[in-house]
Amino acid sequence: MRRGPWLWTAALAAYAFLYLPLTIVVIYSFNDSRLNAEWVGFTWHWYHDLFHDEDMLIAAGNSLLIASVASLSATLLGTMAGLAIHRYDLKLLNFMVLAPVAMPEILLGVSLLLFFIQVLNLTLGMLSIVLAHITFSIGFVAVIVRAQLTSIDESLFEAARDLGASPWETFRYVTFPLILPAVIAGGLMAFTLSIDDFVVTFFTAGVGVQTLPLRIYSMIKIAVTPEVNAVSTLLMLLTLCMIVLASRFAPDVLKGKT
Amino acid sequence: MLHLYNWNNYISDTTIERFEKQCACRVVQDYYSDNEEMLAKLAAGATGYDLIVPTGNAVEALIRQQALRPLDKRLLPNLKNIDPAYLDTWFDPGNQYSVPYAYTITLIGYNSEKLRGMDLPLDSWAVVFEPRYLEKLKGHVTVLDSQRELLAAALKYLGYSANDDDETHWKQARDLIIRAKPYWAAFNASSYIKELTVGNIWLVHGYSNDIFQADLDAQNAARGFRILASLPKEGAVLALDSMVLHKSGPRPDLAHRFIDFMLDGRNSSELTNLIGSGNPNLAARPFIQPEIAHNTAVFPGRAQQARLEMLRDLDRNRRRVLSRIWTEIKLR
Amino acid sequence: MSERHDKESPSARITRWLVSGPPLLFLLLLVAIPGVIMVFASFRYPGEFGGLAPLVAADPQTLHGLTIETYRFFFGDFIYAEVFIKSFVMALATTLICLVMAYPLALLIARSSKQIRNLMMLLVILPFTSNFLIGIYAWMIILGPQAALNQTINVLLGVFGIAPVQLLFSPVAVMIAMVYVYLPFMVLPLYTNLEKHDPVLLDAAQDLGANAWQRFWRVTFPLSQPGIFAGSALVFIPAIGMFAVPELLGGTGDIMIGNLIKEQFLGTRDWPFGSTLAILLTLAVLLVVWIVARLSARGGRYA
Repeated sequence: MRRGPWLWTAALAAYAFLYLPLTIVVIYSFNDSRLNAEWVGFTWHWYHDLFHDEDMLIAAGNSLLIASVASLSATLLGTMAGLAIHRYDLKLLNFMVLAPVAMPEILLGVSLLLFFIQVLNLTLGMLSIVLAHITFSIGFVAVIVRAQLTSIDESLFEAARDLGASPWETFRYVTFPLILPAVIAGGLMAFTLSIDDFVVTFFTAGVGVQTLPLRIYSMIKIAVTPEVNAVSTLLMLLTLCMIVLASRFAPDVLKGKT
Repeated sequence: MLHLYNWNNYISDTTIERFEKQCACRVVQDYYSDNEEMLAKLAAGATGYDLIVPTGNAVEALIRQQALRPLDKRLLPNLKNIDPAYLDTWFDPGNQYSVPYAYTITLIGYNSEKLRGMDLPLDSWAVVFEPRYLEKLKGHVTVLDSQRELLAAALKYLGYSANDDDETHWKQARDLIIRAKPYWAAFNASSYIKELTVGNIWLVHGYSNDIFQADLDAQNAARGFRILASLPKEGAVLALDSMVLHKSGPRPDLAHRFIDFMLDGRNSSELTNLIGSGNPNLAARPFIQPEIAHNTAVFPGRAQQARLEMLRDLDRNRRRVLSRIWTEIKLR
Repeated sequence: MSERHDKESPSARITRWLVSGPPLLFLLLLVAIPGVIMVFASFRYPGEFGGLAPLVAADPQTLHGLTIETYRFFFGDFIYAEVFIKSFVMALATTLICLVMAYPLALLIARSSKQIRNLMMLLVILPFTSNFLIGIYAWMIILGPQAALNQTINVLLGVFGIAPVQLLFSPVAVMIAMVYVYLPFMVLPLYTNLEKHDPVLLDAAQDLGANAWQRFWRVTFPLSQPGIFAGSALVFIPAIGMFAVPELLGGTGDIMIGNLIKEQFLGTRDWPFGSTLAILLTLAVLLVVWIVARLSARGGRYA
């Protein structure tokens, strides 16, 4: 254990840098003042406002719906992609899965905007957002599932085959139970990415549909009230639960991302 | 159900509720904060809006795109309430497609206390563009984050029309802006209201209704200062927002009812009393709070009115050139 | 693998297509085709009211067809190249600051006991998964003129007779928030790399009389190069396309490629030029990836 005091100091400073801002947002969500400046007193006021803000509730409903549909679809497609890449070593699929994740988000956003309007002649809205979210989530699920597959001992599959199992039976009774934690973790990850996404949504949302991040964006642009703090706090709480859950299912998920 | 695509905070809730009761229908609103944004979103295929409230130049663009439905004036008896000065505009001769809703003027807003005794020419754009005045205000000035508005103010100060599209004049305006830029705190079209209210920003190039809002907020918070507005003598931009029917809207009948409803003096006055917007409706005057009615930045006199200009839409080449000049302004 | 391909039965081939087909088809449709469309769009004229001008027009008076005018416009003078260079410098600075901040953190986690490692990593991941707009908003609060930080700094500056500064709406604010948003991206690959180092190597170095500093520079640092390259790519690439941070925290001069692209699509209604900017950004990113890949291949020899 070589951990000098300088290392501790530098690392703690980095942790503080990461958490101080979020803490401040949370603290001011309970502050009885319109300005995020000085502490005046404790209040639930902003949460009360939040739950009576119709636009915000609609946006939250949209976000949850989009994230559910997008993450389920992405889990299915991503798991298939992960299996296919692992089993058949498909270079093209591997590239296609990683491309939307590896490039700056804005590129996916504008290219999908062009595509939806010029080619599909689609009115931007729920459908375009869901399609866009599936596109960038597939990669994360595929990578997590594939990482899990690599860690499984090949001899297990051979044993199943030797015992006369059909490929489907092998998948159903051997492969699937083994990758299930990774599939669930991937799905949770996809859900989190979808519900938090701003950039791609910004370009593919059109006018009618608002999501939570789009609301937060327009609110902080105008800098209105600590209602933003309240909604941010709740959104962070949701993300926190998702990630903790995901890391329960597959502790290596988080490392798999690289 | 009536789908309204409107500016952010551009109608009073009580007005909406009254209309909903009267027509036994629901009003659904989507919002934009910039004409360009609204046009871009419509160009990106947004549909289903019965009613939109664009500014003159955007109305012009939408008419030329044939995106609007002609009005049936038989359904709009209250049209007689509108001040004739705001009818028959260049963007819609004969008001075939549009009915005036409200207007804002882009002018100078300032903090009454912080600027006291500084001896600044608050009745001129010079205070926004001339370093000799800006020196005293460094870091406490914001200008609108809008290519058209800022260029228009600079062109006005230089003595040109806000719609001048001579590229050498644009370049003069660009140089003027670049010279003044180091003294400005930010390009800002939204949060400057709050910054004015709390006293961080002392002088802004902003919209009349935003400045009114800041003043209201400052008074409510008992800040001990007022936010005043001043219409520069060189002239300024007038943005006349009109109600138009979008072709994609499924309920033109409701839209007509809504327009006539909004042309009623009392309904129309509620917006002005809420946000301090200019009101082209003569029947609304008696309902408007006296303090707003006597504010010359909201209701300018005839002589001042003559110095106001409405912006025209730019063609694609001009848009590209302006965008390039804007990039240059940001970089330098 | 090869054994499977040799005796692939018809049913196995069907399975193979059933598994790989849907995701491949989906991604071809939503990634590859939009990419191609974007390349095409960059050679079109803008529509009068937005969108694209028609490719073929019945009336020859209307603007139509293909053109390279957007590229000419881009390379016509230095302005747009300057925005690219500026974005490049910003992204590079973000990467370097992230590296300096992430390294000790990753090292500490890698050398902690197994039980708390996962918890410590989780603490790094959480800010990354929370919405980055919240982070930006947090910095708007912290750097605001009423906040204690800005006031303290100005009081200190006042002591030395220096004029007060404004932190919010400045390049400094942009830099801080960029580092904040991307720091976890740097910690992850660094940690994955450092965790794999064999402590025996350090013991050997110590036995040979190397002090802590020498052990770090001669052993740990060279071995961690693949992690450094991976982390740098993960930070640099998204950072160069950022538009929200300069828009929300920047001052009068903070503009990046992302802002330009956004403006062409959602402001100026100039889709062809926006597409051109996006294509050039893609090329720039690919160039950087290629350079990093070359560098890390060379660095690999030390490892």
